[in-house]
Amino acid sequence: MKFLYSILMLGVFMSCSNDDEYASFAENEQLAFTVPKNFPEMVYDIESNPPTKFGFELGKKLFYDGKLSSNGFISCGFCHEQRFAFTHHGHQFSHGVNDLSGTRNTPSVANMAFLNEFSWDGATSHLDLFPIIPITNEVEMGETMTGVMTKIQADREYQRAFEAAFEEGGVSTENFLKALSQFMVMMISSNSKYDKYIRGEDGVQFTEKEAYGLDVFNEKCASCHATDLFTDSSFRNNGLPPNPSLNDLGRAEVSGKASDNYKFKVPSLRNVALTAPYMHDGRFGSLESVLNFYTRGMVDSPTLDETLRNGEELGIPLDDEEKEGLLAFLQTLTDDTFINDKRFSEY
Amino acid sequence: MKTIYKLLLPLFSIIILVGCSDDDNMQELTGEGIVKLSFDNAVGSDDLLLGSSGYTNSQNEVLTITRLNYIVSNFTLTNDKGEKFTYPKDDSYFVTSEETGETEISLTNIPAGRYVSVTFGIGVDQEKYLQGAEGQGTFLAKAEATNMMWAWQAGYKFLNFEGTFTSQSVTEPTNFKVHMGSHGSSLDNYKEVTLNLGTEALVSDEMTPIIHLVADANAILDGANKLSLSEQAVIMVSEEKSPKVAANVSGMFTVDHVHNGTGDTH
Ligand code: HEC
Ligand code: HEC
Repeated sequence: MKFLYSILMLGVFMSCSNDDEYASFAENEQLAFTVPKNFPEMVYDIESNPPTKFGFELGKKLFYDGKLSSNGFISCGFCHEQRFAFTHHGHQFSHGVNDLSGTRNTPSVANMAFLNEFSWDGATSHLDLFPIIPITNEVEMGETMTGVMTKIQADREYQRAFEAAFEEGGVSTENFLKALSQFMVMMISSNSKYDKYIRGEDGVQFTEKEAYGLDVFNEKCASCHATDLFTDSSFRNNGLPPNPSLNDLGRAEVSGKASDNYKFKVPSLRNVALTAPYMHDGRFGSLESVLNFYTRGMVDSPTLDETLRNGEELGIPLDDEEKEGLLAFLQTLTDDTFINDKRFSEY
Repeated sequence: MKTIYKLLLPLFSIIILVGCSDDDNMQELTGEGIVKLSFDNAVGSDDLLLGSSGYTNSQNEVLTITRLNYIVSNFTLTNDKGEKFTYPKDDSYFVTSEETGETEISLTNIPAGRYVSVTFGIGVDQEKYLQGAEGQGTFLAKAEATNMMWAWQAGYKFLNFEGTFTSQSVTEPTNFKVHMGSHGSSLDNYKEVTLNLGTEALVSDEMTPIIHLVADANAILDGANKLSLSEQAVIMVSEEKSPKVAANVSGMFTVDHVHNGTGDTH
């Protein structure tokens, strides 16, 4: 019995010495952050929460920790998987605790430092405050902030990690949210074939089809999927027929305005070839279906985006050649560097 | 060096004494003190008792109130000379809750003076919200613990007013919920009010006034804007109704009286 106990104790000591990587705040250092040349201005106020080595590591640990949920299994990374550009692949709706599922498709977490509205309806306009939503949502993580903080406060490894990452406050809600943001702020996807082509790097060239697709995209899609983030961060109704079993009103759920009914945030199209299913409710399984929807699937409603009405016809006319070009172009937005970047991976 | 002090000291004393004699019938207030604000929740002319027998409003609806929580913030005190003292913003957010009995707040380190009015906000301003984690500090946990956070939207409820009601058309007791806050970046429901204190609130090293405010819960639905629960019993994110609730709430406060003294007696 005593022998067993000593072995256990040994185990405890050994595991303690493992986390010596969080030496002390004195050894912490700021991480370099560069805005990619072809990106618009950053929105996130990086001065008030500059990413540091230990802050980022802590954010990553939290992102992949099931402790943040009521059943202890569902981490942020459970729904936001790196291989699929941090979306929940193969799930129309995200699965959370007790296998309850939500009513919305999981968007990609990439380039968050450049957005000013988060989630499909803009439920928050500050990245730091976003994690409160999944943590406290009963179908996602089903916890409370206080509950999560209590669990973390009791964990020695976390105590040390917080001390090393932040000069003041130790394990606090403020530092918890800051650490998660530091991790997400660093998650930049800017090395797709498209990026290299646009920045003229490594002699990367587009095929004829890809170049044609880019032209079609600029003419027919870029009014909403604007800038090299491929979103103008606005809320719009792109004519999807509402799903009667959900009747998700989108932006109107936040604003309470009937004029916002069925408007959703224009999603970024980065890594779009990896992020199926598509749209806020994940109704489309392929990009072909998305393009077919844009040409013939739209329904009219009072809040339909004006640019999608062209005379009698609704939608964006696209012939087969244009569709092929678009599909080829959308593939160029896949960023293998990002989805394989060890800095962001769970293991 | 020392001798200079010895010479100057009497001189200073004279200046101080002369200065005092200017307002000889007024007490000299020096140093700093605490100002307490007590939010006495009421319905009409009655004390608010949670869960107790119904209260009839002017729209003939009978309300039994079970929860009244609201956020008050950004306190500024104005003295008799018109000078404003703004309480440090980071410390200026409070939840008052009838359920938990936390209805009194203390503002500390207030410079001595004769204060004639108080200005405060109801809710959380966008500036604070947009400071992200840095700005919220420990207030998030406080708000969560007092049912003042919305879960589906990472924002604050400025007001959480709940109970049951009956009316001519709704004869069975039915739950009502009025949760008011800002609607993301779309609609800002934060409001500020300025109230004259009527009596000067005297603050000094020795003086700790208590300002008694009455918050009339009746005004939430039955104030300048009339909102009928029979028509809509759950009012949360309504573009039309929530600004009306916000306007009513900003009109529900009055200063009842001010206690000057050492702050021990109410
Ligand atoms: C159960 C699955 C699930 C879990 C767990 C989860 N998310 Fe999400 N995430 C989603 C869904 C679904 C959305 C879209 C929400 C909406 O629009 O209402 C989303 C949206 C986001 C967004 C906004 C993206 C954008 O483009 O607007 C961020 C950032 C994010 N999640 C981060 C996190 C973090 C951090 C955690 C852990 C604290 C987390 N998520 C946990 C499913 C999940
Ligand atoms: C009027 C603005 C507008 C235009 C023009 C537009 N889109 Fe969209 N797009 C949106 C909105 C809004 C959504 C999200 C709708 C939803 O989920 O309800 C969206 C969603 C998508 C998605 C799904 C992405 C995901 O992650 O789920 C794809 C792919 C897409 N659009 C491609 C295109 C292409 C290709 C074009 C040009 C042929 C185009 N869009 C033109 C507004 C627009």
